[in-house]
Amino acid sequence: MLSVFKSIPTHMDYKGQKLAEQIFQGIILISAVIGFVYGLIIEQFGWTVYIVLAGFAVSCVLTLPPWPMYRQNPLAWQPLVPETSVESSQKPQESLKKKKHK
Amino acid sequence: RSWFVKMNTVLSRANSLFAFSLSVMAALTFGCFITTAFKDRRVPVDIHVSKVMLKNVDDFTGPRERSDLGFITFDLSADILYSTVVHSPIFDWNVKQLFLYLSAEYTTKSNSLNQVVLWDKIVLRGENTKLNLRDMKSKYFFFDDGNGLRANKNITLTLSWNVVPNAGILPLVAGSGHVSLPFPDTYETTKSY
Repeated sequence: MLSVFKSIPTHMDYKGQKLAEQIFQGIILISAVIGFVYGLIIEQFGWTVYIVLAGFAVSCVLTLPPWPMYRQNPLAWQPLVPETSVESSQKPQESLKKKKHK
Repeated sequence: RSWFVKMNTVLSRANSLFAFSLSVMAALTFGCFITTAFKDRRVPVDIHVSKVMLKNVDDFTGPRERSDLGFITFDLSADILYSTVVHSPIFDWNVKQLFLYLSAEYTTKSNSLNQVVLWDKIVLRGENTKLNLRDMKSKYFFFDDGNGLRANKNITLTLSWNVVPNAGILPLVAGSGHVSLPFPDTYETTKSY
């Protein structure tokens, strides 16, 4: 059964990861401010906790799964060159080097 | 091949989201503490003593043969809803419950300060805050460390309470109202108590 989970695609590209992080930080901070003010007004700290938890739940839904908006800037890989067995052992090293340059 | 593309996984995103939320929650809890840390919580309290009796009995907990044992019957009324000075609610968002206690304070020849707790009560959030107690007997024995209660001119009863908060330190408040009374000069001679 674990192989089913491993086969679900979960990757985002780099700009998508940054976007996801900005989104969840913004949601949590906004829900924290709203929760703080609301709890202060009605004199119950429990509501502050509930509102922040709700913000956490919304952030989970919005930023954990790889929605299409996080895949808008995919990396431009080099095109595959048909190779012999010698070149195929060199290919992964080349793409590793290209990755480190970025 | 997709191993190279993933810089972070769902788990690492979930981890950073959770850690960020927890840090924000800790900051909010500190904020909750700061908004109530310095408020004045005094509330007027009315204490009235209707009956005082004194016995001299065997005290097995002390170092001597016989000690003074006082019996006080009192009335207590207070409305612990709003503080007098700031007019803000006593049960604010950082209060879980109040621990009230009635204590007697006096001086004797052998000790310069004695404080004895006679009665206590826990008031939970949401419970009735109006106290209107009549003819209450003390919950705990009013033993003196010796025989200093007899003919003692000045015993002061004060209602104080501890605020048990959601976050932060536990402030101790003294109710603004106390009563002083003298104890009788003679002992009751009946044995049972």
